[in-house]
Amino acid sequence: MEDLLDISALIQLRVDGQFHELDVLPSRTLLDVLRDDLGKKGTHLGCKTGHCGACTVMIDGKVAKSCITMAATLSRAEITTIEGLADDDGSMHPIQQAFWDEAGLQCGYCAPGIVLSALELIEDNHNPSTKDMEVALAGNLCRCTGYQSIKRSVTEACVRMYPEQK
Amino acid sequence: MVKGKQLSESYVGQPVRAKELRAPLVGKAKYTNDYSFEGQLYAYILRSPHAAAKINSVDLSGAKKISGVHLALCGRDVFEHTNGITDHLNPAIFGGKSTRLPIMAVDEAWCYGQPVAIVIAEDERTARYAASRIQVDYTPKEPVVDAEKAIAKGARSVVPEWDDNVLIYVPFMNGDTQAAFDQADKIVTTDVKIHRFSSQPMETRCYNAVWEHDTESITLYGTCQNPHPLRLVLAETLRMNENKIRIIASTIGGAFGLKMHGHPEEPLICLMTKLIRRPVKWVENREECLLIGAREQQHKVEMAFDSDGNMTGLRDHFLANIGAPSACPGWGMAFLTGLTMPGPYKVENIDVHMNAVTTNKPSWNAARGYGKESTAIALELAMDNAARQFGISPIDLRLKNFITKEQFPYPSPTGLVYDSGDYGGVLLKALETIGYEDWKGKQKTALAEGRHIGIGMAFELTPEGGTIPGTMVAGYDSSSVRVGPDGTVRVLTGITSPGTHNGTAIAQIVADELGIDMDRIEVLQGDTNSSPYGFGNYSGRSTIVGGGSAALAAKDVRDKINAVAAALLEVEIDTLSLSEGIFSSSDNGDATLTFAEVCYASYTRAYDVAMCIDPPLEATRTFKPPGISHLPDENGRINPYPSYSNAVYVVVCEVDKETGKIDLLSLAAAHDCGKVINPILVEGQVCGAFAMGLGGALTEDVQYDANGVQLTKSFKDYVMLRMADMPLVGMAHHDSPNPDNYLGLKGAGEAGVGGSAAALVNAVNNALEPLEVVIHEMPLTPSRVWSAIQNANNSEGVK
Amino acid sequence: MSLHPMYARPRDLEQASELLASLSSGAVIIAGGQEIMPYINYGVMMPDVYVDIGGIDALRGVSAEADEVSIGPLTVHRDIQNIDEIVQQLPLLAYAAKQIGGGMQVHNRGTIGGNIVAMHPLYDVAPALLALEAEVELLSENGSQRMSLSELQELSNHGLGTSSILTKILVKPMSPTTLWGYYKLKNSAGAYGSANAAVVLQLDGENIKSIRVAIGAATEKVVVVSGNLDSYLGGPYSSEVGLAIQKTCSDAIDEPLSDQQGDGVWRKAMAGVAARRATEMALGKLNNSSSKG
Repeated sequence: MEDLLDISALIQLRVDGQFHELDVLPSRTLLDVLRDDLGKKGTHLGCKTGHCGACTVMIDGKVAKSCITMAATLSRAEITTIEGLADDDGSMHPIQQAFWDEAGLQCGYCAPGIVLSALELIEDNHNPSTKDMEVALAGNLCRCTGYQSIKRSVTEACVRMYPEQK
Repeated sequence: MVKGKQLSESYVGQPVRAKELRAPLVGKAKYTNDYSFEGQLYAYILRSPHAAAKINSVDLSGAKKISGVHLALCGRDVFEHTNGITDHLNPAIFGGKSTRLPIMAVDEAWCYGQPVAIVIAEDERTARYAASRIQVDYTPKEPVVDAEKAIAKGARSVVPEWDDNVLIYVPFMNGDTQAAFDQADKIVTTDVKIHRFSSQPMETRCYNAVWEHDTESITLYGTCQNPHPLRLVLAETLRMNENKIRIIASTIGGAFGLKMHGHPEEPLICLMTKLIRRPVKWVENREECLLIGAREQQHKVEMAFDSDGNMTGLRDHFLANIGAPSACPGWGMAFLTGLTMPGPYKVENIDVHMNAVTTNKPSWNAARGYGKESTAIALELAMDNAARQFGISPIDLRLKNFITKEQFPYPSPTGLVYDSGDYGGVLLKALETIGYEDWKGKQKTALAEGRHIGIGMAFELTPEGGTIPGTMVAGYDSSSVRVGPDGTVRVLTGITSPGTHNGTAIAQIVADELGIDMDRIEVLQGDTNSSPYGFGNYSGRSTIVGGGSAALAAKDVRDKINAVAAALLEVEIDTLSLSEGIFSSSDNGDATLTFAEVCYASYTRAYDVAMCIDPPLEATRTFKPPGISHLPDENGRINPYPSYSNAVYVVVCEVDKETGKIDLLSLAAAHDCGKVINPILVEGQVCGAFAMGLGGALTEDVQYDANGVQLTKSFKDYVMLRMADMPLVGMAHHDSPNPDNYLGLKGAGEAGVGGSAAALVNAVNNALEPLEVVIHEMPLTPSRVWSAIQNANNSEGVK
Repeated sequence: MSLHPMYARPRDLEQASELLASLSSGAVIIAGGQEIMPYINYGVMMPDVYVDIGGIDALRGVSAEADEVSIGPLTVHRDIQNIDEIVQQLPLLAYAAKQIGGGMQVHNRGTIGGNIVAMHPLYDVAPALLALEAEVELLSENGSQRMSLSELQELSNHGLGTSSILTKILVKPMSPTTLWGYYKLKNSAGAYGSANAAVVLQLDGENIKSIRVAIGAATEKVVVVSGNLDSYLGGPYSSEVGLAIQKTCSDAIDEPLSDQQGDGVWRKAMAGVAARRATEMALGKLNNSSSKG
């Protein structure tokens, strides 16, 4: 049984398109690895209990809270952070552009959760209702906006990403 | 929505896109915790598990043994090397008590969570683990938790050298209130209990103190609303020269007052780098952040009325449970609550007493509204109570008692001078925005079906841009405008942004003054090495004084540029015009110069054509709003606010009487914040404040057990509103500009929490009126509402 | 309690079982982590060994036989909400899974097994499974055991999470004539449940043939109310019957929870209200009328 136990775990992550093989200590979260090992500071620490959503990333295309994801358990995973949405030349993803143009956020700290959760929603449902948005963003807190500008930004993002929907 | 401006339009007043928002949206903004340095070490703070205890001994040996630990210290270790923490707002200036404020508890802990020891290690987990190995021998004392008990005769003093637990008592008296009450036709008494709740920005606090070996100084990267004043506090507390300390407040993830200085961790972390000569970072966890709260006040509001419903006298003797002594300006909130009485009402006879009571609860810090929100809550719940007792509409009772348009500038009974306003107009605008008559109809229909819809309104007066003499809560601020040889601009300002994009508002103002494109302007804030001396952000001051000073500085620079342009074109200055980056003159036909050419010449032709000016193209100016007066009047009162924003909030809700649950159906706000620089920014503030106030009224609560131990430890218990809770907010402006301030600005950041909370409570009481249920305490959890309904059912009309 | 925990990712159940047996204590089993990571992040839990069961295929998958739906404990909530087998055969469970808090992030990573093992009074899955009389299989060093979820709730020495592994969740498919309802009372969108009631109901014509209610979030353990509802069998539903069901369910609550969301007196009453509303929802389905989502 000794050969099963190890002080660390070897994981393979493709983060925002870049491949990494990492040896991680088991108590470390995906958030720790992204921020401290890979220098990806765009994803934020808000509560460490999984309530606020500021730590949201996509794991294999689906949103997840990185502060309550143990890095060691991700033996092979595709990770997208808020930093991975823009093009290589720096031009913003339409959803980021929509949030910017519509003054969707204020302090910006909740951006990873709000933007990625909204993106997952829109890609699945090109014309979400307010109720759909509420369900999709149930895991995210914003303390600055009262959510109104966020709703407006999500609607605008749909218009830009899927103009064929009315 | 957000467009580029038209040629002839000014930026001010336009919903211009905020430059600052781009970085966080692409994940590249630099928040304090994003900085890490070579040799970075991490701190973990061991905190008192008792609300009150004697500290007999602290044994750090267990911590020091852990591999990776560099340093472990307790309060006694640091006591000799430091002074007490300088108050943000010293109560002694106002006749209150003061005491030495330690960085860490030494002989006794006076609240749950007070720092007792600190461990510095290679990583945070090691530091935390080592901290768990520290043995502290406590002898717990009977804690003083409740304000009424704390103020009762014989109560133990939280601060041993004080006679009692009253940090400060301030009366606000005017006229003959006793006579008013003696002669009153009707007296309405309302006991309003405001609970302790908290700002809880999404970003908690973070301090990373770096020892700079070359200059033997400290750079503190910190989530700090007021970098310059904090610098002085650190210097005094750590016995250093102020010019050996630099503070960099980079992008902040929300503040709402919680990040105003006075926290013990500020000097504590700086002391660590001073001792260990390596960078030391402390990241506040959410449980620690929840220790910071505010607003717990008990009001007994008594209103004397004549038979027509005119208020002739107001009495309110209130207690504020401000927790343990602290250098943070939390106690000042209670002071402001009193100073803002009687709000928008023209009653002149007032008898208001404020007692700020020290207890063994964790200390207050400032929270959005800074006490004025509590004035709104107390008064507006009482007004609705009075309207119910008179049997007249809450609208009519308010309109009858509001200060009228014609009465401005209005000297308040507490010595303030309200600049301008149209309170009745704002109320009517808000009611129109929500569709009041429509909702009244729906309410009636619903009641016939056994459902309870309620409509509630509340007025909030928000003096903004506050300043307190003898303190670093200053009413002025400064900006530097620097135009480079290529015509691009840097604005450095002493105000800071908690995430409100006031940098964009300032850029709008400067762009208009200079006559150039906003894209050519960068606004820099937060670095004490480069920004002119300033006081940061609080009290909605940023656009008033930051914008005001930037406008003055920009004007100065524009004058210089104009002079050079005129010299180059060989014309008189008053014949110049600047359009789309090109100077031309009515006197010189086709001759044109670009803005950049003129700027370049300003730098390079100092001894010939540009000799009319002193280079470089820079100016630093200060704006002191004229409305402030610190010279006491014949009653010893001062007017510390330059402007008085105000707003009315309306809430429509439905109460499920079977469960007590409240559903929000519709929200509206009508706002008077004077001139609006950027309407999108203002709307964002109003909506955010609405959610914060409603959260406070419905779900947010910081709770303690009988021993003063905090029970609320995470967002499981401290529940804030989510998107699904918030209906759309209808917003309207009803502006009466401040005649003194630049562009008539009044400020917009602070208002909303009190008005929205009060509107919610009023809406619920309105909904439950048929059941004869009235509740004047918060939060209105389903449990509380349901219990009130049960009690009303079980007894004869409980009030 | 360890600053330097060890980690293992056994590849199958046998290896996992052997490993857990060899570790006397200090081991913690992790799957999605949504439940335990907050405790680990705050240093409240500091295991000596993490046993990651995420790689064990036998714990995945959902299969529906005629008389049993077998759910792998590693099935994430999002799949419980959407997989055909669950939606068709166990619609109450699919619906209850939709009510889980924490947002899409938790639905994507949280597992049904982790939710059950947590035995958190405020959670949603257990009331639904108890209403459906679900059974579970556990693997420990004593071998494999099968028992009802009710029985498991009563055990204190099951070792789940530390030394035994939940290997299967087994539920009889709901018949097409079974009516069901789920009512979750929350103070606000981001709150945990204060009373979560799951109801399963059979009608015979107009008359109630059977009714079973499971109420979570009101007490430490989920309360199942069935026998005491016998007096309403054989007759039609009416508002009086509804109120009687409400009272019976409320009476069944001893020692209600009291926390920041609400006190015990209220919770006890709400258990009854939630039960009645869940019943109304179940019956609403019969009449094809919309019910609260």
